[in-house]
Amino acid sequence: MFYRLSGVHHADYISDSRMFKVPADRNLAVFFLIIGVAAPFIIPSLYLNSYMLPWLIWTAAALGLNLVTGWAGQLHLGYAAVMAVGAYSAIHAAKFGVPWEFALIIGGLASSVIGSLFAFAALRVKGLYLALTTLAMQFVMDWVLTHSPAISGGSHASLQSPTLALLGQDITSDAGYYYVAFGWCVLVTIFMLNLKRTGLGRALVAVREKDFAAAILGVNSFYYKILAFATSSFIAGVSGALLVATFFFLAAPEQFSVNVSIQVLAMVIVGGLGSIIGSYFGVALILLVPGLVNGLVAAGSEAIGMQINVETLAHIPNAVYGALIVVILLIEPLGLGKLYGNIREYLMVWPFDQLRK
Amino acid sequence: MMTNKQTANSAGDGAILECSGIERRFGGIVAVTGVDLVIQQGEIFGLVGPNGSGKTTLTNAITGFYPPNVGTVRLAGKDITGTAPHKVATLGVARTFQNLALFNGMSVLDNILLGRHIHMKPGVMRTALYWLAAQREEIENRKIVEEVIEFLQLESIRHELVDGLPIGLKKRVELARALVAEPQMLILDEPMAGMNQEEKGYMSRFILDARAERGVSVLLIEHHMDVITGICDRMLALNYGEMIASGIPKEVVKDPRVIEAYIGGSHG
Ligand SMILES: Nc1ncnc2c1ncn2[C@@H]1O[C@H](COP(=O)(O)OP(=O)(O)OP(=O)(O)O)[C@@H](O)[C@H]1O
Ligand SMILES: [Mg+2]
Repeated sequence: MFYRLSGVHHADYISDSRMFKVPADRNLAVFFLIIGVAAPFIIPSLYLNSYMLPWLIWTAAALGLNLVTGWAGQLHLGYAAVMAVGAYSAIHAAKFGVPWEFALIIGGLASSVIGSLFAFAALRVKGLYLALTTLAMQFVMDWVLTHSPAISGGSHASLQSPTLALLGQDITSDAGYYYVAFGWCVLVTIFMLNLKRTGLGRALVAVREKDFAAAILGVNSFYYKILAFATSSFIAGVSGALLVATFFFLAAPEQFSVNVSIQVLAMVIVGGLGSIIGSYFGVALILLVPGLVNGLVAAGSEAIGMQINVETLAHIPNAVYGALIVVILLIEPLGLGKLYGNIREYLMVWPFDQLRK
Repeated sequence: MMTNKQTANSAGDGAILECSGIERRFGGIVAVTGVDLVIQQGEIFGLVGPNGSGKTTLTNAITGFYPPNVGTVRLAGKDITGTAPHKVATLGVARTFQNLALFNGMSVLDNILLGRHIHMKPGVMRTALYWLAAQREEIENRKIVEEVIEFLQLESIRHELVDGLPIGLKKRVELARALVAEPQMLILDEPMAGMNQEEKGYMSRFILDARAERGVSVLLIEHHMDVITGICDRMLALNYGEMIASGIPKEVVKDPRVIEAYIGGSHG
């Protein structure tokens, strides 16, 4: 209906290699970009900063993990640890007086170095062993953070983030924080969209699909796996730093614990491996549904006048969203991104769906 | 010394691929032993033998997947014995696989574009700054890919996923992917397996045209003797990993040892 491919002809290779080949997709993207820019004026700042902002930053982070797990096919269970490296490096750099722009880059690069060092060791093994090695990395990082006050900020293990300032502007307003998160998420998304249409993205998928076939085309699997880890770690590092600078304001080890690693992985898998839009959905689900369910349960129990004790209340959302993940993956193992793709494909030919191949 | 060897073997403008004394074992199995072969520039060279006679193993030894335990491989005079496959590719060798090795989940176009990998410089910065650097490179390579797509008549399926294509088309896509790399040496491992007579005819035509238009040398593994005698300049027959006959196809296929291997051997 809105989606139409008929009548859309790409007359040259530039137009055929556009980010969005279907005009409706492009219009939708522009629409959401405008919403994103206008959000501070239309969304109450409570929602803006407690839902929109973390959603955007976690989406950026999830896209980074999607790069390594979805594109390059390497299971990664220590992603939160890589985010921690970026967060702590950036904050220490900023405390030291480094301008935030550079502090963020330092954070990204520090993550990149540590992430690829681990990958270097980990890539000697494959599959499950790689997953275990990355998990070990997570535990090492947890241990380092809780045992070195110099890094984690003294005996309370909490590190105050200095006031964020970018391009000579102190950022202290809710809208300001939001725009930083929004900008970062847009940048990462554009990068991922470009990845879909360049040799780098193809090489990563080739390595994931059949490494021997990739090899005879001249693709050095080891190099591209390391590159995937390095790039994804950079995204993780900056996302981690921004999360602290615009959302938590205090860095603490629990923010980057093993649970968090598993949560990001869940975001990516529920969203769909290798799907960009899917990561947006996946993060929304994992991040926002527990809160929503919580509210609903509380409201519901009040309405029917039932007393639910705090402990049960705390567990219901987890149970519900766990069930939700299972249901989604049962319906569509390729995740929400694929589910969305199916709907889009249906609309593309509607109402002539008998024409579909 | 090199020149001596070349003049000794060559009628045309020099050898592109020279294997000497190749042996490859897997545990106790000797898959290939004592194989010598010289392929001249621009030659279409046939390799035949019953199942399990070591044809694929020989190509794996050449392309570095299973380096030979004994012997040397030279490409255009350069020793490439034991070089890793991804480096062999950059030196100008392309190959297709007996059991197909396309990347599922990717379109025909993207699969073929991957064949251009060695001519491109994929990188993180280029991807981030797509419009400044990568776009031009992508378009330029797309043009080269489109030429091959036209050559192999794949226009109508370029945007389709490779997953569901019939085997004949898959083999053609894989040939396209190998050709766009603009190799000097093209190794085709049973490119016509599972094809009907008409498809085989097309494929033979494509191989001949590829040589004519691109000057590529071809090592062709094939069970269909009519194809071998039809398009190969010279050939080699293996049995149980050893050379049993080599030379002009019309003569080799009449060789009693070859007939014996195919009739009496493990041929299936
Ligand atoms: N990776 C491997 N590990 C162990 N043995 C192997 C391996 N590859 C090949 N072989 C053995 O080497 C011998 C030669 O196999 P090869 O695949 O080279 O034969 P082929 O001539 O290509 O046969 P076909 O016509 O069936 O393709 C066989 O006995 C096979 O079992
Ligand atoms: Mg074989």
